[in-house]
Amino acid sequence: MSTKRTRAKETRTVAIEIDHRTVRCAEGVPVLRAAELNGVFVPSLCSHKDLSSFGGCRLCVVEIAGMRGYPLACSTIVQEGMKILTDTATLREMRQEILQLILSEHPSSCLMCDEKEACRESVHTVRKAGVSTGCRYCPNDDQCELQTLAERLGVTDIHYPVYYRGYEPEHDDPFFDRDYNICILCGRCVRMCQEVRGTSVLAFKYRGSKTQVGPAFGRNHVEAGCEFCGACVAVCPTGTLAEKASKWDGKPDGSEVSTCPFCTLGCQIDVHHKAGRLSKVHAHLDPEINDGQLCVRGAFCVPEVTHNHGRARKPILKRGRYFREVSWPEALGEVASRLQGLKPEEILMVVSPDLTNESLYAAQKFIRSCLKSNSIDSTARWALPGGPGVWADLFSLPISIKSVAHADSIIAVGLDSRFSFSVAGVEIRRALREGATLVTIDARHSNLARYTKHWLRPHPGTEGSVLRALTERLVAGGRGHVSPAAIDETGIDKWAFERAAEALASGENLAVIVGPTAFALDANLDLAKALLRLGGRETTTVLPLFQGANTRGALELGVLGELLPGLERAKGRRVSLADLLEGRAKPKVLYLVGESPFFERPECDFLIAQDIYRPPFEVDAFLPAASFAEAEGTLTNVEGRVQQLVKIEDLADGAVTGYARPDWFIFGALAEKLGRAGPQPKNAGQILKEIGTKVAGFPASPDRRPRRLQLSTRIPWEKARSDYREPGEYRLILEPGGFRHRGIDMSLAVEGLSELALEEGFRFHPDDLDELGIGSGDKVVLGVSDLEVSGPAKADPDCPRGTVWVYRPFAYGGIPQRANLAPLYRFGASLFNVTVSCPGASHAEGAEPQVSAGGGGEP
Amino acid sequence: MKTLETQRAHAVQAWNGLQNSARPVVYVGAGSCGLAAGAAEVVDSVEGYLAKKRIGADILKVGCIGPCYLEPLVDVQMPGNPRISYSNVTPGVVGELFDSFFEKGEMFRRHLVGHFGKNGFRGAPKFFEHPMLERQVRIVLRNCGIIDPENVDHYLALDGYKAFEKCLSMRWSDVLEIVKNSGLRGRGGAGFPTWRKWLVCRETKSDTRYLICNADEGDPGAFMNRSLIEGDPHAVLEGMLIAAYTMGASKGFVYIRAEYPLAIKRLKSAIVQVQELGLLGRGILGSEFDFDISIKEGAGAFVCGEETALIASIEGKRGMPRTRPPFPAVEGLWGKPTLINNVETLGTLPNIIRNGAEWYSQYGTETSKGTKTFSLVGKLRRTGLIEVPLGMTVRSVVYDIGGGSIKGFKAVQTGGPSGGCLGEEFLDTPIDYETLGAAGSIMGSGGLIVLDRNTCIVDTTKYFLNFTQAESCGKCVPCRVGTRHLANILERISQGKGEVVDLARLERLALAIKGGALCGLGQSAPNPVLTSLKYFRDEFLSHITDKRCPAAVCRDLVHYRIITDKCTGCQRCVKVCPTGAITGPRSEPHNLDMSKCIKCRSCYEICRFDAIAGDAIVIEPGA
Repeated sequence: MSTKRTRAKETRTVAIEIDHRTVRCAEGVPVLRAAELNGVFVPSLCSHKDLSSFGGCRLCVVEIAGMRGYPLACSTIVQEGMKILTDTATLREMRQEILQLILSEHPSSCLMCDEKEACRESVHTVRKAGVSTGCRYCPNDDQCELQTLAERLGVTDIHYPVYYRGYEPEHDDPFFDRDYNICILCGRCVRMCQEVRGTSVLAFKYRGSKTQVGPAFGRNHVEAGCEFCGACVAVCPTGTLAEKASKWDGKPDGSEVSTCPFCTLGCQIDVHHKAGRLSKVHAHLDPEINDGQLCVRGAFCVPEVTHNHGRARKPILKRGRYFREVSWPEALGEVASRLQGLKPEEILMVVSPDLTNESLYAAQKFIRSCLKSNSIDSTARWALPGGPGVWADLFSLPISIKSVAHADSIIAVGLDSRFSFSVAGVEIRRALREGATLVTIDARHSNLARYTKHWLRPHPGTEGSVLRALTERLVAGGRGHVSPAAIDETGIDKWAFERAAEALASGENLAVIVGPTAFALDANLDLAKALLRLGGRETTTVLPLFQGANTRGALELGVLGELLPGLERAKGRRVSLADLLEGRAKPKVLYLVGESPFFERPECDFLIAQDIYRPPFEVDAFLPAASFAEAEGTLTNVEGRVQQLVKIEDLADGAVTGYARPDWFIFGALAEKLGRAGPQPKNAGQILKEIGTKVAGFPASPDRRPRRLQLSTRIPWEKARSDYREPGEYRLILEPGGFRHRGIDMSLAVEGLSELALEEGFRFHPDDLDELGIGSGDKVVLGVSDLEVSGPAKADPDCPRGTVWVYRPFAYGGIPQRANLAPLYRFGASLFNVTVSCPGASHAEGAEPQVSAGGGGEP
Repeated sequence: MKTLETQRAHAVQAWNGLQNSARPVVYVGAGSCGLAAGAAEVVDSVEGYLAKKRIGADILKVGCIGPCYLEPLVDVQMPGNPRISYSNVTPGVVGELFDSFFEKGEMFRRHLVGHFGKNGFRGAPKFFEHPMLERQVRIVLRNCGIIDPENVDHYLALDGYKAFEKCLSMRWSDVLEIVKNSGLRGRGGAGFPTWRKWLVCRETKSDTRYLICNADEGDPGAFMNRSLIEGDPHAVLEGMLIAAYTMGASKGFVYIRAEYPLAIKRLKSAIVQVQELGLLGRGILGSEFDFDISIKEGAGAFVCGEETALIASIEGKRGMPRTRPPFPAVEGLWGKPTLINNVETLGTLPNIIRNGAEWYSQYGTETSKGTKTFSLVGKLRRTGLIEVPLGMTVRSVVYDIGGGSIKGFKAVQTGGPSGGCLGEEFLDTPIDYETLGAAGSIMGSGGLIVLDRNTCIVDTTKYFLNFTQAESCGKCVPCRVGTRHLANILERISQGKGEVVDLARLERLALAIKGGALCGLGQSAPNPVLTSLKYFRDEFLSHITDKRCPAAVCRDLVHYRIITDKCTGCQRCVKVCPTGAITGPRSEPHNLDMSKCIKCRSCYEICRFDAIAGDAIVIEPGA
């Protein structure tokens, strides 16, 4: 599409001479890159392929004929006929001298130690030390670029006194520790944070020998707006920055390329493993999606979610008042006997949209062919507001993550990419660096708003109308008529709208990214119509984002009861999740697969939970499922790519490793017990092959090509919900948030996530709080219909006046503290008005018990 | 065009009126040097005097006229008389001085420096024949201390903005030709030919070009740029207009450190005045030339005087240099061609344009043309701001202008922390770019710090290295780590813990930094070490081998002694000694116990200034 610029660059080459060897390389690249591409090693500690040249470490000095002094390979651009020497005696001496200077500021006792060889042979344990004083006490031992370079340049002694900076190592922020005593100030992290991530959290502070890296003005990382994407950790050549979870794992044995199991972007990750266990995750340099970038979930949460001590790893049955760990045959026997002879509407299976394609397919096949029922449902439905019809149409559009970076104009609607979909944010900022125009449509401030002059701030819930109006302008080439009344209704300044439309119109390639918040706020039908209109054009890329890692797979593979795999209409009676929640149906057996969208045990005779963690209420049978690290499979991302999830941990069953089984395997085993099906699949590949033959358009093996959904018959759209308004002067907005994976909120398993200040409580504009006479932190009571909910108030200048914002877990369950808000959830995603009262003590106390009652403890 | 003409006519009238004023006029030197010496109080007391005596007189606050050591300077101009200058006029002197003029009607004889008249006046010397001023050639400083810097009329009356008007009537290439022929070189330090920088900038294709006036004067002991802006801000602005017209800039910035509040104030008011005259904005004076000037206040980082760091700072980034090329003239501020000239370079331009290239090039040497301002400071009889033709010898500057050192000349440090110390053997060296460079120092922006025999070279070098290592931006290893090691080795030597091999270490490291550092500041940071080692090796060696500081400065290498013959036993020193090292009964010579002495210098100071005998305590080399 718009790769003209880069293509033009790549085609022209120049001839240069490196170390008396004539080579050709692309025009405009630095000497360092040219040397690297031609297999010539030039030492450097501060350069990085994604970052601008810095020239700080001074190790890449070279000699170039006709140039004064010793130019730097990293910042000198190749020119036709350049004669470069990279390895002369003078250069070697200079590099040694400079490396010694670097090492005189870096604890390197063991690097220079006489006992080094012996030490390596006999000492195998990494010392876990609070402070790194030498290689064996450094989390980066054996993986350190400085170490490698010292060996390669033959530095065995330092002529200078060694300084120790004496900073206190920083362990306070979540996810990664920082010990700036061993920092060499190469500035990679600073540039990564500024240039690639666009967050500018990290900076250099102070001068001279006191120069240090960190957020300016003494703030901590959370306050400074850190996304905790881990990009700085990944580029650090030393052990200064180290993941808390894997800090002392030592050098990994190897790594596998896998797919991040946490969201629908499907970023590619390098999963490092040590002694058969998953150790840490780095972003894979995959040019298709994330190109070396991740978000906080991908970068830090993978090991902790699968290794948390709270993992349930053994089958459990309820026996009387007790829960017993039992063997698989016993558990399967019990479950099978309960499933025997049920009528179609006596069972309901609820499936998580985080499961692999194989497990999703196996789940619906189990329900439909073994139990002859259509009573299968999924919270994927909640992740796709507007209904399957809308989303089936959206998935028929060409969706591309990568094209965002090549767009000239970008519209971002309801997207905050700080902790979720960060990679989309990075792509947007890549485009902005190339001069693209960004328009954000967002009722609240988002982390993208700071990059644009065009922040359209409509009333919450009218984002769709604004996008539709913009669409009219863009599609009709600026002549499209937009009624001023329509703009007025959204609360946007007419001129701001005109300026934004004008700014967008100049672009050739348009990208529209819509975050889950926008879809959730009553705007979904308008949004979808606008996206369909825009997405139909060749020059436009759309990227509708939603929760759940495999939600698209869930839609395509038939875990919504009314749709079969391939989005065919299902016939037959069924019970849905909504029926259960709204009390219209009472199935006898409830089978929760990786999902527990309840705060309390739902009413049923027999409750089966199959997950990696136990749900926060009593179940009758628990079947331990294998996590993403322990099972193979595929995930379908938003673009329709079917990407591989690699089995990293293949450890024998045991007391510690547990007895977890892949979801699809459990369904097969149950089917065998029930005796109602033929031979069961032996591995995930077989299932995918079956999917390939049964489902039109779905690949039979992992296929990373983006795929548009091919619909034989269009699924009709559901009717728009009528705007449900209660009397009340404040508009309540339940913003989908949280870090859900399968049945839990990840912040329960990953300590760092719970520190990320996803403020609990009701957020008001400070002026509103003043008007109400409520202080930040005071208890307020929200009243709607006949119910009242209380919680602390919080001043948040980003909220529009007259609104109350609350984070709503996308699929509830998860954090017990949120249980007191549960009554609100029955209103679903819609916006509604509430009354706000500052408690007289009686009100507040009336609501208090709800918190503890709903909260529950550990089951 | 008309408004400027009428304004100038009006200005000339006003200026002449002032010269032949029927009312008395009082000029007070109120630049930073004057203010530091108490000019603000002097102004108050002058105003008080005039109000009390109900005398109608004008008070003019002028900039620095040069001999800062004489501040506060107050000039009195009685009707019909020339302006007469008085030095060290404290508020206490004001009454006497004015009584003499207003009550007795006669010229005050004490504190007299000189008069500004063309002919003799009642036997008073001429001001510009004062030994400090006699040998100076004031071109860029011509208005400093003469005019009211906040009154644009004064500048206009003295041919202000005529040079710019002249430029507007010429093609840019012709202006460039004049500057080229004048031989003007950058006054910021490196001495790059000004015209060539302009041409590169002009010839780089771009829709926008920027001009930056570098007023981030950061060398310790340097104040030329500050004084010029404080004393004659319009000269700098006119220079900017000329430069911008010639190299095609449409936007100018003055990057000035926030520690110069008075200069910033003067500059701001000057910009407003110039805007009112229609000399800034679109279509200036009816031409097609558009130009605007903004002030960017720097937070006071030494490194921001480096061109690329300065640009980063204006862009809102951390002031850190980047590798060159690309040079700012090709790719500078926001990626556009950017010309960065020093305050003095710009301030000189109007004079060159007005008087022609030949006139300017008559001053100076073959390769270094024109004049250069210096802040002449240190151990000298006469200190202050001077402007001399390039090529003048060090001796002339130090002895003729500066009056020499009381304790004997030892060395002169040129170019601040990037320059070097030159000893007695350089006294007859002409001051120009090439000669100073060949000696291992640099011209720099114009700091001349004179050291006398009581100054220790090791200590001075240590001072400069501590400065550069603290001011290093921290980006590149040689500068950040290397200067720290240099400073620490010097510290060791000054403590008497040095080894002979340290000298080789210093040299080796200094050369590594010179060759390996990223920016000009890093590359020149070791210059003080290298020159001192070259010219004052003996002094280093005596610190190392004899454990002796010949100048008796390095604390660990000196001892204190009471000269018993001189000591009257006044007990002042006994009272101030914090450790009880000095003992003795009243009226008898005291005794100093060196084992208790912590060398705090209290007794020495009190004996010098406050004791009955005075100078009975001496600091001597050797621990």
